Amino acid sequence: MREILYLQAINEALAEEMRRDETVFIIGESVQGSTFNTTVGLVQEFGAERVMDAPIAENGIAGAAVGAAMAGYRPVADLMFGDFIYCCMDEVLLKAAQWHMMHAEKVNVPLVFKAAIGGYSGLCNEHSRCPEAVVLHHPGLKLVLPSNPYDAKGLLKTAIRDNNPVCYFYHKQLLPMMGEVPEEEYTIPFGVADVKREGTDVTVVATSFQVSLALAVAAELEGRVSVEVIDPRTLEPLDLDTILKSVEKTGRAIIVDEDTLRCGVGAEIGMQIMENAFDMLDAPVKRIGAANMPIPGGVLEKICLPQPQDLANAITDLVGAQRFELAVQTAGVKLL
Amino acid sequence: MKLKKNDLVKLYRNLVRARKFDQASIRMLGEGKFTSFFHSAYGGEAPGVGGTTFLRKDDYIYPHHRGHGIPHAAGKGSDVVGFMAEHCGKVTGSCKGITGFHACDPEFGIYGTAGTIGSAFPVSVGWGLAAKKAGKGQVVACFFGDSSAGRGTMHEGMNMAANWKLPIIWVCENNGMGQFVPIKDAFPMEDIASMAGAYGMPGVVVDGQDVVAVAEAVMAAAERARKGKGPSLVECKCLRFRSHVEGAPDWMHGEIRSPEEVEKMKKRDPVVLYQKKLLKQEILTKKEIEEIDKEIDAEVEAMEKFCEESAYPEPSILENAVYAD
Repeated sequence: MREILYLQAINEALAEEMRRDETVFIIGESVQGSTFNTTVGLVQEFGAERVMDAPIAENGIAGAAVGAAMAGYRPVADLMFGDFIYCCMDEVLLKAAQWHMMHAEKVNVPLVFKAAIGGYSGLCNEHSRCPEAVVLHHPGLKLVLPSNPYDAKGLLKTAIRDNNPVCYFYHKQLLPMMGEVPEEEYTIPFGVADVKREGTDVTVVATSFQVSLALAVAAELEGRVSVEVIDPRTLEPLDLDTILKSVEKTGRAIIVDEDTLRCGVGAEIGMQIMENAFDMLDAPVKRIGAANMPIPGGVLEKICLPQPQDLANAITDLVGAQRFELAVQTAGVKLL
Repeated sequence: MKLKKNDLVKLYRNLVRARKFDQASIRMLGEGKFTSFFHSAYGGEAPGVGGTTFLRKDDYIYPHHRGHGIPHAAGKGSDVVGFMAEHCGKVTGSCKGITGFHACDPEFGIYGTAGTIGSAFPVSVGWGLAAKKAGKGQVVACFFGDSSAGRGTMHEGMNMAANWKLPIIWVCENNGMGQFVPIKDAFPMEDIASMAGAYGMPGVVVDGQDVVAVAEAVMAAAERARKGKGPSLVECKCLRFRSHVEGAPDWMHGEIRSPEEVEKMKKRDPVVLYQKKLLKQEILTKKEIEEIDKEIDAEVEAMEKFCEESAYPEPSILENAVYAD
């Protein structure tokens, strides 16, 4: 099968959906040029009316998407960095997420908030965040975290076709990732986890860029600990069944997500495991996430963000094995 | 748009309807029939009614929070009864009792309202984009209060709308008070409309107590928008006879607003002013005015009975309601 970049997979999904459905349009800052090369070439094919360069106005962009979505369009609001979603919380969390239920299901808000998330590039607190928990905290939004090119394309196509607002957060570290993507049409349903690696000792639930890190750690620990790695792919809806099935087998679980630890994804999924599978557990659930502090820039970033060794230690501690020093201690590449 | 005799009567009827439903709301809240709160439009009904009565059914409106949008919904032709039932928390309400005070009637171009002031601007841009893309000549009338002009969302929305020549009429209902703060102490400029120039769009100030003046100004802006010439700003200088919210003291900064001043304002009651005008111009007779009063009193009575007899929603209404299929 052919291999393409993660960023190309995103680009293909946008182009295909725009060809398929003329109500789909993109609105955002510098989308005709493209900050992360995910929208490159679209304006040449679809014109400026459907690939709209907006002023720096996150409230305006997100709100315009909400309004247009209610009126029958399927906008993709490109918020550039995931951190910038903080500028338009009202439109995202109180309007897009809530208007369908609040208005008695008389209106739908089918749109995609597309944003690049994540750290490991030393870009400091306002260009590195993974705002997953804040999205999950506002029911009404769906949340998609593609961890590879195949998922990036298939999930984005599903997101655009969904009749709900979807936060599609793609990770900056994954942009240059190569992977198999078929040329034929396909979509990936929401709420179906992907078991990336089978194992028998510990279940690691990893999201987004952490999936790559978890797979690398699991490979290094091979022969010492048998690690099962699960990528939920979407956190709303969440495929809890696949996670519970794995925990039933391993009796141990670690959740690794890059967002801040406190009230984070690990806390949520970990608690759901406790509520539903307490009797299956041989040890307390562990969680790994960003430390409870603003994300520092420069060399201090690694103090805050989850590192592969943190996961390796959690795994060995959980099974009572001796700690093992990983050969590769770094995560991510400098992007800019 | 030249208003004909039947237009003027329709406008009067809608104005009286807005007034009587607003008054009924104040009373029903006091009687414990409302499940949430109420921000009366008393004294400031004309912008909502004048700005919507002659719009097309498929035009979009974002109602202002004053009167909870009753004047706007009444003008647009939407079912005010369902909106009142919503306030009573009944399942027959416009949002099936889920919000207690939001308006939503897509058939009449009302796609929703919200609680955060100033959030009307960005969403209206979206409707404006949709209207422009659809190419059917629809317009958006976005009603907002003077104080929401302090939100950055206004700048974002007006800039985008002007830049993309979207068919939007920004209707400012300037009643001089932003909750408990006089506008003159919150803005350095006399007129909100003066900001229109910065976006290269027309900005006009009209007497917001004169429902005909409002209607004419908004319809002129709508005509311009339908021709593809872009947005306009219409500022209606109006009045507020009640406190910001029912039940709260009528604060003005840290003092209570002078009741004498409020009484003086009532000389400019928009219903009374328009009634006098119609009588003077012999468009309506006293008898006809009494007839209209009686008809709308009957509507209010029927509305109350309807609200009273309607059931509250079952909790099951919220099952599977968060996400669309």
